[in-house]
Amino acid sequence: MRMPPFTLHTPDNLAKALALASELDNFDWVAGGTDLLPNYKWHLNPKPNVISLAKVNELTALSGTVVGAMVRIHDLANSEDAHPLIRETAATIASVMIRRSATVGGNICLDTRCYWFNQTEEWRRSIDWCHKCDCDTGADCRVIPNQNTLCVATYQADLAAAFIALDATIHLASGAGARSMPFAEFFQLDGMTRNVLKTGELVTHVTLPEDAKNWQGAYQKLRLRETWDFPEAGVAAAWKLEGGKITGLRVATTGCESIPGDHSEMAASAIEEWSGKDSIRELSEGVRKAVKPVSNTYFPPAYRRKMLRVLTRRALAPLEHL
Amino acid sequence: MAKGYRQAPGKSGDKKRTDGKRVAGQQDFGVPGSGGSDPHSKLQDLDYVPESVGGWKKQPRGPHVHDRHVTGMTIGKSVPLVDANWKMTGQAQYGDDIRLPGELIGKILRSPHHYALIKSIDTSNAEAMEGVFAIATGQDSVNKFGVLPVTKDEHAMAQDKVRHVGDLVACVCAIDEATAIEAMNAISVEYEVLPSIHDMEDGLKDSEHPIHDRGKYHIGESNVQKRVFQQFGDLDGMERAPYRHEADWETAGLHHGFTEPHAVVAHWDPSGRLTVWSPQQVPHYLHRALSAVLDIPMHQINVHRTFVGGGFGGKSDPFPHEMCAAILARKSGRPVRINFDREEVYWINRGRHPSRIQMGVFADDEGRISGIETDALIDGGAFASFGHVTTYYNGVLHTAPYEIGGFNYTGARVWTNKPASGAMRGHGAVNSRCAVEVGIDAVSEQMKVDPMTFRLANLLPPHSRTITGFRVTSTGMRECLAKVREQSDWDEKFRNLPLGKGIGVGCGFFISGSGLPIHWDPENFPHATVHLQCDMDGGVTVHTGAAEIGQGSDTAVAQAVSEVLALPLDMIRIRSKESDTAPVDLGSYSSRVTFMNCNAAIKAACELRDKVMKAAWEITGYNPDVLVLGDRRIYYKHDPAIGVSWLEAVHKAQADVGSLIASGAYRTPPMGGVHKGAAAGLAPAYSFSAYVAEVDVDVETGFVKITKAWAAHDCGKALNPLAVKGQIIGSCHMGMGQVLSEEMKYGRDGHLMNPDLLDYKIMSVHEMPDVVPIIVESNDPEGPFGAKEAGEGPLLPILPAVCNAIYDAIGIRIDELPVTPDRLHKRIEKHCRKLGINDPLDLPVPRFEAGPLQKKLADRADEHAKRDHLRDIQEDRSSYVNGVLFGFAPDKPMAEQKEGWREAVVPTPKDLADPSKRAARAWGHVERRHRGDD
Repeated sequence: MRMPPFTLHTPDNLAKALALASELDNFDWVAGGTDLLPNYKWHLNPKPNVISLAKVNELTALSGTVVGAMVRIHDLANSEDAHPLIRETAATIASVMIRRSATVGGNICLDTRCYWFNQTEEWRRSIDWCHKCDCDTGADCRVIPNQNTLCVATYQADLAAAFIALDATIHLASGAGARSMPFAEFFQLDGMTRNVLKTGELVTHVTLPEDAKNWQGAYQKLRLRETWDFPEAGVAAAWKLEGGKITGLRVATTGCESIPGDHSEMAASAIEEWSGKDSIRELSEGVRKAVKPVSNTYFPPAYRRKMLRVLTRRALAPLEHL
Repeated sequence: MAKGYRQAPGKSGDKKRTDGKRVAGQQDFGVPGSGGSDPHSKLQDLDYVPESVGGWKKQPRGPHVHDRHVTGMTIGKSVPLVDANWKMTGQAQYGDDIRLPGELIGKILRSPHHYALIKSIDTSNAEAMEGVFAIATGQDSVNKFGVLPVTKDEHAMAQDKVRHVGDLVACVCAIDEATAIEAMNAISVEYEVLPSIHDMEDGLKDSEHPIHDRGKYHIGESNVQKRVFQQFGDLDGMERAPYRHEADWETAGLHHGFTEPHAVVAHWDPSGRLTVWSPQQVPHYLHRALSAVLDIPMHQINVHRTFVGGGFGGKSDPFPHEMCAAILARKSGRPVRINFDREEVYWINRGRHPSRIQMGVFADDEGRISGIETDALIDGGAFASFGHVTTYYNGVLHTAPYEIGGFNYTGARVWTNKPASGAMRGHGAVNSRCAVEVGIDAVSEQMKVDPMTFRLANLLPPHSRTITGFRVTSTGMRECLAKVREQSDWDEKFRNLPLGKGIGVGCGFFISGSGLPIHWDPENFPHATVHLQCDMDGGVTVHTGAAEIGQGSDTAVAQAVSEVLALPLDMIRIRSKESDTAPVDLGSYSSRVTFMNCNAAIKAACELRDKVMKAAWEITGYNPDVLVLGDRRIYYKHDPAIGVSWLEAVHKAQADVGSLIASGAYRTPPMGGVHKGAAAGLAPAYSFSAYVAEVDVDVETGFVKITKAWAAHDCGKALNPLAVKGQIIGSCHMGMGQVLSEEMKYGRDGHLMNPDLLDYKIMSVHEMPDVVPIIVESNDPEGPFGAKEAGEGPLLPILPAVCNAIYDAIGIRIDELPVTPDRLHKRIEKHCRKLGINDPLDLPVPRFEAGPLQKKLADRADEHAKRDHLRDIQEDRSSYVNGVLFGFAPDKPMAEQKEGWREAVVPTPKDLADPSKRAARAWGHVERRHRGDD
């Protein structure tokens, strides 16, 4: 297995990075490299140019409400300033060694994954490729054949669920300027396009609302092993308690579809008439129904859906007696 | 020289007895030039010398024939493996570390199709590329090979058809890897795709294009590669049995998951000889296969085993890529190196067979096991590999440790268009053992007897014979069970834990060395040979072909020699890597190395010792009968001041006899029955084990966590307790993977979906339970110093122990492996529906209430314990065969004692009547040679 050759660019500030990005027509950003480089080794859509953000110092801010894209997951998990839910979620990602390299931005922009895609070139040749990496063959989707439009590869990153649950805002930058949007709107329902990033654009940081510190939360994750494995399903819940009453509740899921799921509307209506365990059961069932995984990861989709119900219930367990 | 040759005492050692006992070795002697890094001779360590020869080591099971060779040096002591520092410092050279000047990189073009005819191969574009030195296809190598002489069905590269995705089609070698890959991709192959077979049951049917053609031996027109039938005992008793558990098991295929991917380097040297470096478990078979494939005599080939980064059975076949490297090296005239990617490792596979096993366990009113009935269909993938043997092992290896009334086994192995299955740690025994032990648990539940008691009341005693004629010598089964029962607080916990917490027991039985060598008659050639040479430095070089694959075989052999010669381990040098210098050894499979090689090493060391002792006799004037061999010193038993250093004696011996060399060999004694297949599963000794596992089951998600395991293994004698414990703990980890997570997943189109270490789920350190390794020493009469195997047997019991613990926790009987959370969750849902329960947290938990048989069996177990002890210490020498528990006389053929006693290896139509039995269907076909149409 050989890494395809590419030219590595290492700009030392954001302006240079963005300038470089507008010059090069075919490139990938690399941050920690824990997702991109294994994919390159498998010849999954490699590009001739790679721009490393390792030396760009502007992207490493970390506080209670700001998380820079180049913050290492390990540092986030061990930060005293970061929001506890973000910290808790970060600590479940991959393994210690991967967290040391991997970054927040890289995790947010993680490529979608699929059993028919994350394989070697020889393996993919044996199935006649698939449309996420078709090698100019016009190949079909192998998960759901005969629908050559959307890619159903799964988005298996953890942080997104926590950010959505905390109502975070994501900030992007490109040569054309900066823009920002609610976190959930960053994603696009297609395993190939994945998100709204335009060529030459990158994630700079994520901000949480000013009152984030008044929100508590929990993250529940389904995976076979307690290390390495990507989430097969993940549920983040965040809530705000005032005077013994739930005044805010947000729920988000990840690991089940091509994009993370925002179930906050459902959660908001649930707290209008909150009745502890019953409300939790109802909300969990709602989440299960709202999410439709396909058969392209380790666990079968029916199981993952059912587990969403259990995970949601467990994440909301602290609200059982309210 | 006159009697009374005296040496001046040296400084005293650090080991002093203060308890008034006789001081071992009596005095220290500073012996300059004695060899070894410590200039002073150490006291004899009587804690490790058995009572029978005057030491203090207790021998609850009596003396051993090797006791008189014990010098207290290393046997029984925990010593680090002799090659550990090489590995720890990164200086060990594995397959991929071999670099020769001028090497080329080889790459293999593999089939993208499951099953296809090769219409044409065009290599011209690749040949024209700069930097490409040679290309080979199936045409360059037409000779067949295979690990078993009876089933040679492999070629270096596909001849006319490819049989699975990843099958080898062509290979290239080039100046670097990038060029080799480019050239490989430039080869164009035209295929005609054939309908492929993926489900093992389809392999039982006649096929238009059977995956292999066995000529006149072909079974029907099917893909049945091997079929086995064995019926022994009172089958009517099984039919009448009041207690019975019948289950239909499905177990997934596994890969060994070793760390080091396959790698090979081949080089034809200027003298025209071929050297192949490969991390091989079985270098000798590779040696033979290379000779056959390349059409050159064996003496022109040197097989060099590198350090092996894990094998577990996965590196014990001669492999086609090894042939490819040799062919490319011959064509190009340059050394060629081929390294596998992880995916290629999965494509060559040879892992555990996916299996469908119908297992029936039956018991009678007396609480005896009236029989075990097994129908095992195993999925061999595209090649035979060790499958011939695996097909037997799935049945014959559960004829012990229990005494059974009947044994009814039908087995079949089929070819499918998948990577080939083969031998993997616990070869062939693991899946069916799990099914047997779960059946035993279920049957004891039916009869209201504690499963520990049920087992203890039905064990074969030491020095007995199984129903199919295996000779059991030592067995520590009873002690294993007793120890795990006590240490796990079994009696308090069993059926007493709350929902989701469970405890379970499982046992194991495994061969300690395959009784028959594959390639020759043991009457003519030994299983293992060890040569020793000792030169003026006093150190001893051991030449052995035993393959050190991380299991510690170099250390075991070094320990055996060190013990007999009373030399420190650092004076023993092991040369086990090259076929040029090593005597032939069958290799590291079937858990044979410690048993066979150490026995050969002891013989060789005794021969060398006798030569040196004779010299010491001449120097000291004392007959060897009264001389003691201590640490680098030989002295008079009754006056230790009279003695001679090892080195002096060695020099004298060399002066007298010339070079000091010795040789020892091991052969198995004649044993076993005469029926077809009697040799499969036959071993000079067997290991036994019993584990208790405790689990936490999350009933809402189906996750199982093993929290603790008590693992008792009878290895005969722990030559190196550290290594034995390592094997036990490692086996638990590997077995835990098989029971909970590991599987080769095939997708809907038959593709292997997880040929990588992210998706092939080997358990991590987070999932690893606390394992309490318990060593049981049954003192095998023929084992080296009493030792038996510890490399494979310890894997077996963890699977059923966990399955039975899951039952204890949630009341669900497992019959599918691995028990992944999604599978168990499905079972829990089904179970809840059946019981009309909405919330799995309300599930009832099985509870135990002793029935009338409990007391009876407990009493019988106590009686048997006494019986076994007398047999252990050889006070009771009466013969014992399986059947005595059922009232048979041991010395008369069973068939004469009971009408209807079966001993059959060919089925009757009645035996095949049940259409639900899968392997039985394999017997519905007639071999071509018996059809009269060839």
